[in-house]
Amino acid sequence: MKETYIQICGISMTFLGLVFIVFLYVSEPKTLAEVSTKGSVAIGAYSVNSDDFDRAVALFRNDDFIGARAAFDKADPEKRDAATQFYTAYSFYRQGWGRISNDDQLFAQGVAAADRVMAIDPAFRATDGSLQMRTASELKAEMEEGLKITISDFNPMKLTRERK
Amino acid sequence: MEEREDQIIELADDEVETRIARAMATQRSTADTEPDRSYRIYILLPALFLLVTLFGGLRFSAADGSFIFMKPELICLVFTALTMVLFARSGSIEIDGWLRENRTILKNAASVAVLLALSAATVQLYNSLLPEQGLMFWVVGFCFFWTIWNALFAEFDARKLFKNLAAIFGLAFVVKYLVLTNLTAAPAGSWWQRLFENPGKEAFTWLLDLPKYSSATGYLQFFTLILYVIGLLLTPSRVFHASPKPE
Repeated sequence: MKETYIQICGISMTFLGLVFIVFLYVSEPKTLAEVSTKGSVAIGAYSVNSDDFDRAVALFRNDDFIGARAAFDKADPEKRDAATQFYTAYSFYRQGWGRISNDDQLFAQGVAAADRVMAIDPAFRATDGSLQMRTASELKAEMEEGLKITISDFNPMKLTRERK
Repeated sequence: MEEREDQIIELADDEVETRIARAMATQRSTADTEPDRSYRIYILLPALFLLVTLFGGLRFSAADGSFIFMKPELICLVFTALTMVLFARSGSIEIDGWLRENRTILKNAASVAVLLALSAATVQLYNSLLPEQGLMFWVVGFCFFWTIWNALFAEFDARKLFKNLAAIFGLAFVVKYLVLTNLTAAPAGSWWQRLFENPGKEAFTWLLDLPKYSSATGYLQFFTLILYVIGLLLTPSRVFHASPKPE
């Protein structure tokens, strides 16, 4: 090979190699699988796995919230899809909801997921007709209300409320 | 008298012949190895140094073996700058033998790429050999600084510098990955349990504030150090001959 080509190869290899190394040290993947996921995010080729998403929605509708969240995590490992994160937040709400008291820990995780939805797509609106709350802000307000202890929490009529 | 003159003439002829033979051999070997030399300098060397750059900050978690990418501390950049000055001062890397105004942009860029890869690898090697935090970070860091600072003002040639650096890096590797690693207790079980089972290790872990990594980290860093040393051995002091002819 001509020396010129060798030098061009060397420059390209060094430049690409350094870019790849900087990418790894900035994105900090924990496994080889994460390297490819984060790589696809970096080049804009990231997409949610639709099979896992459909399976997760089915589990969500059957009230298997833990299983649903595991499948949602698999479908969207980088937590970059608003719909997936909305369902995740909703699953925390439904699992944590109680007629007498709510699970604060699950609600707090739900609020964090709702925040992610608002960060990804502030105008996100769910198209699923089976959900009573369609926006992340509604969902977040509902869970934040559940986290607070107010005088209305002691109203016996609250026992008649229904999960949304 | 005449006999002596004949002897001198004979010796001079021999010397001229020897010199011509040496020059021809050098020319032949240069002609034979020129493409190999280019591959070595512009492909193999950056590849080695990029591997060192990649692996230098890589650790494996003791808990699940997952990757932990440690970004280099600022002090690593300072050490690298000083080390590059050392390379230049000792003649290990002659700057005018790598970069020159009368060379084409491509040739200069190719040289810059190799030197850039060497600098990045050096940063990551210091990142690999310096303990991550705590008292030992400062102790080992000070030792590096002291050694490099003294070397800056000493008379070094390339061979001595190479031996010196290999010795420092080797010692730092032994300190971090053999001595300190064996003084660190793995975070398994309760604190009380660990304290009763191995009070010495637990005390050192607490005193030195050292993180525990998987044993694979030590193996990887060993090969990283070896790759760096091989890279240094293969790095020529100049990439082109000092001919005044413009290219």
